[in-house]
Amino acid sequence: MSLLTDAMERLKGLFFRDRRDQELAEELRDHIERETQERIRRGERPEAARRAALLAFGGVEQYKEAVRDARGIRPLEELGADLRYALRGLRRNPGFTATAVLVLGLGLGATTAVFSVMYSVVLADIPYPDPDRLVLVSEKNSPTNAWNISTADATAIRAQQKSFEAWGELSRQEAALSGTGAPERIVIGRVSAGFFKALGVPVARGRWIEPRDEAAEAPPVVVVTHELAERTLGGPDQALGRSLTLDGISHQVVGVLPPGRTELGGFRAAAWPVLKLPVPVRRGPFWLRGVARLKPGVTIEAAARDLASVSARILPLWSDFPDSLAKLTPMPLRGRIVGRAEKQVGLFAGAVLLVLLLAITNVATLALVRASSREAELGVRVMLGAGKNRIARLLVTENILLTLAAGAVGLLLASLALKLAVSQLPNLQRIENARMDWRAAGFGISAALLAGILVSLSPLAALSGRGAGVQTDARRAGTGRRTNTLRSILVGAEFALALPLLVGAGLLLNSFVRLSRVDPGFDPNGLVAVTVALPQGRYPKPEQQLRFWQQAEQRLAEMPGVVAAGLASDVPPDNSGNYDNFNLVDHPVPAGRSEPASPWYYVSAGYFKTIGIPILDGRIFTVADSSNGPPTVVVSRSWADKYFPKERAVGRQLIQGGCYDCPRTTIVGVVGDIKNLGLAVPAEAVYGPVAQSGARSLNLVVRAAGGTAAALRDLREQVRALDSELPVQESIISALFDDSLADPRRWTMLLGAFAGAGTALAALGIFGLMSYVVRQRRREIGVRLALGAQPGTMTRFIVAKGMRYALIGSGIGLVVTLALVRRMATMLFGVSPTDMLTIAAVATLLLTVAVLACWLPGRRAARIRPLEAISTE
Amino acid sequence: MPPESSDLLQGTLEMLVLKALSLTPMHGWGIGHRIDQLSGDAFQVQQGSLYPALQRMLRKGWITSEWRITENNRRARYYLLTRAGRRQLEAETAAWARASAAVNGILRVRTADGTP
Repeated sequence: MSLLTDAMERLKGLFFRDRRDQELAEELRDHIERETQERIRRGERPEAARRAALLAFGGVEQYKEAVRDARGIRPLEELGADLRYALRGLRRNPGFTATAVLVLGLGLGATTAVFSVMYSVVLADIPYPDPDRLVLVSEKNSPTNAWNISTADATAIRAQQKSFEAWGELSRQEAALSGTGAPERIVIGRVSAGFFKALGVPVARGRWIEPRDEAAEAPPVVVVTHELAERTLGGPDQALGRSLTLDGISHQVVGVLPPGRTELGGFRAAAWPVLKLPVPVRRGPFWLRGVARLKPGVTIEAAARDLASVSARILPLWSDFPDSLAKLTPMPLRGRIVGRAEKQVGLFAGAVLLVLLLAITNVATLALVRASSREAELGVRVMLGAGKNRIARLLVTENILLTLAAGAVGLLLASLALKLAVSQLPNLQRIENARMDWRAAGFGISAALLAGILVSLSPLAALSGRGAGVQTDARRAGTGRRTNTLRSILVGAEFALALPLLVGAGLLLNSFVRLSRVDPGFDPNGLVAVTVALPQGRYPKPEQQLRFWQQAEQRLAEMPGVVAAGLASDVPPDNSGNYDNFNLVDHPVPAGRSEPASPWYYVSAGYFKTIGIPILDGRIFTVADSSNGPPTVVVSRSWADKYFPKERAVGRQLIQGGCYDCPRTTIVGVVGDIKNLGLAVPAEAVYGPVAQSGARSLNLVVRAAGGTAAALRDLREQVRALDSELPVQESIISALFDDSLADPRRWTMLLGAFAGAGTALAALGIFGLMSYVVRQRRREIGVRLALGAQPGTMTRFIVAKGMRYALIGSGIGLVVTLALVRRMATMLFGVSPTDMLTIAAVATLLLTVAVLACWLPGRRAARIRPLEAISTE
Repeated sequence: MPPESSDLLQGTLEMLVLKALSLTPMHGWGIGHRIDQLSGDAFQVQQGSLYPALQRMLRKGWITSEWRITENNRRARYYLLTRAGRRQLEAETAAWARASAAVNGILRVRTADGTP
């Protein structure tokens, strides 16, 4: 039998029921007419013939029913009846319906929104063909310590690897874009031809960078994003063949990316100029990212073995990098793109799931009360012949209808929440893809159906526990022990669910407060900076660059309203992470081990004064620390304490950057700690003099006495006066610190909101249960009061009874919490995930709320008037 | 749902209906009448079970129905055999032949003293 024919016939039977019935009647009339005629033909009298025909057929109505059954629509008809009945019931009880739809709708909405975010940020495939074959190659010498690769590494991999179908390098930088309107700084990704080949993404127009473009004498080419082409090149169609000036060097545009493609391999950049790999002269510096596509069938482990042998072969070739533990290591590119988000989003997915479960539990309690208050009505239905299955089906239909309505509300809320999330949580990669699509809608509706079944479980359990006897005594309705046990279990479960939520929120709050109280080591107010990069074209020689920097610092220091001015390669809270490795002459690392590395800054003497960093020992830079003087550095107190714990650091020497042929670098001073790398990170730092850096890009930093806006305007004017074509990027240091707190603040608020909702739901649950208990025991309480019990005793009795559930639930919640909370460790600052103080504080809060929620019905119990209570029975 | 009649009876009726319709499209009364005739009035088709059976067979896709104008200008619902129905008839005929041969074989077995 064809399923389709069957379904079609059934559906026709359902939708054209009236027409079908008419046709059936006509058919049967026709049948009886023919039978009558036949009998008349055989000689019977017309009257008798008709009666005989009818008799031969039997009861016409009965056969109509039999035919309808054969059409197979009875279950559907019953469903229709159930739906109509359920709708009527829900309409008749608007308070219950509205509460349940709202509570569940909020839960489902939040869950759907978080699911959608999680899908696009964590679960969705990265947008490349065969993404599982894409790897990122790094140097790695311990499970936690990985860094970029060097020119020497890349050259060796190109020549020796056997595992990759395609291999390419990337160096992400900032560059000055000029010649197309106002000068500006953009992020670029210098890439080799293999990078595009490995990713396998097509260009929308033109071509990719090809191996011939990498030749030293080939003209520089660039592939641009659709957005950059629109903004500066007169649209993607006009872009091809035009030139783009990056850091003063003209690049020919050969390709345009498809619209919306703003990142490649998880790296965001506006333009992708060609990377021309120089011939390596030493092992370092480590400045490149390696991206590769594995050959089909080659596992990442096999590729790791292949690259390890490359590492072993090149180790003896370069004396400047003796770390035998460092291995070139492939890691899935997916990990780089999904990154930290997995943990953050995972935590909130867990939290939102707890909220949803709480909402479901709450509505289950409501549904249970409703079912028990309808015991009389259901009893009548049983008496009239409805089977238990039929009643169970009715209850489930009703609850699923309810949760589907809640699901609709939830989808609406989720689409609003998603718009908010996309605009408020921009620090998650790929969050812009999160939207209300069929996937999110499917998830929401499935969650709603599941919720409907879960909500139905408790009334069904209560139903199955009922004896065969029919209860029609309305006053006794819902007194079943089983119903009460179920309700107290549900209320306990709500506390078990609420506690982990509260602990999570408490920990994040604690961590956030600690983070925001961290002393940055200086006063960020009034500090402004502009980043300036000097293009190679117009400042080819280091002396020219240095002259520019010195002139700029001088002009800024003389500006009215400026307290102090200085130069720095990075300003706090810097996240670009410029590190260098070193080896202490007095305490060298053992042979074959990697050298330590520290954040490394190049600053002018004026910088220390501008920021307000105190000099603790020795001196800061002078004119003697010039490009041809001996190399010098100033270190922070944390650095000195770490590497010279019991000795004086000033006067010691180190080998910088693995350059054993270079002159030794001398530590000339120790200065105070500042939070250079953000509030959560230790303050160890090494400062070198600008004159010895050859820096092409620096920050001009100014402490202004007046407003920051005016200071920034003056800064811009001074730079323009020196060179009108330089793009500048402005920052206000205090705003940067505030921004660094914005993300933890958002996450804390979000989890706080979830925890608040969870606590409210648990309180609502226990309040409902105890109010019900008081109503149920009204008579008993009345009698006890009449016999001389103190009203206060009654309140205490009710509160104690309620708190038993709350305590047991919270106890279970504590166990759940301790099992879950360790996953939060990496998200916390200065707090252990099992911080007893936090756990005790939130448990106290939860139980206090519970006491209050029990006390309200308890007070009502105390105010019961004995006479009324007894006589109303 | 009311209990179904036994599979054998129901299956048999459906097979007979398929057979009747394999000769020519017919209306409900005609089908019953034809089966009575073909069986030499050995079967009396229960008219009450005929229509549910037709309904079931419609759902299974073995037959279709259409309203036609009869010779004396009345509207009547005619049932037609589908291709699936024809295959079903062949299958059932074969199965019936096998089953009845087997049953006959059993019935022909005699005890040692010759009594059936």
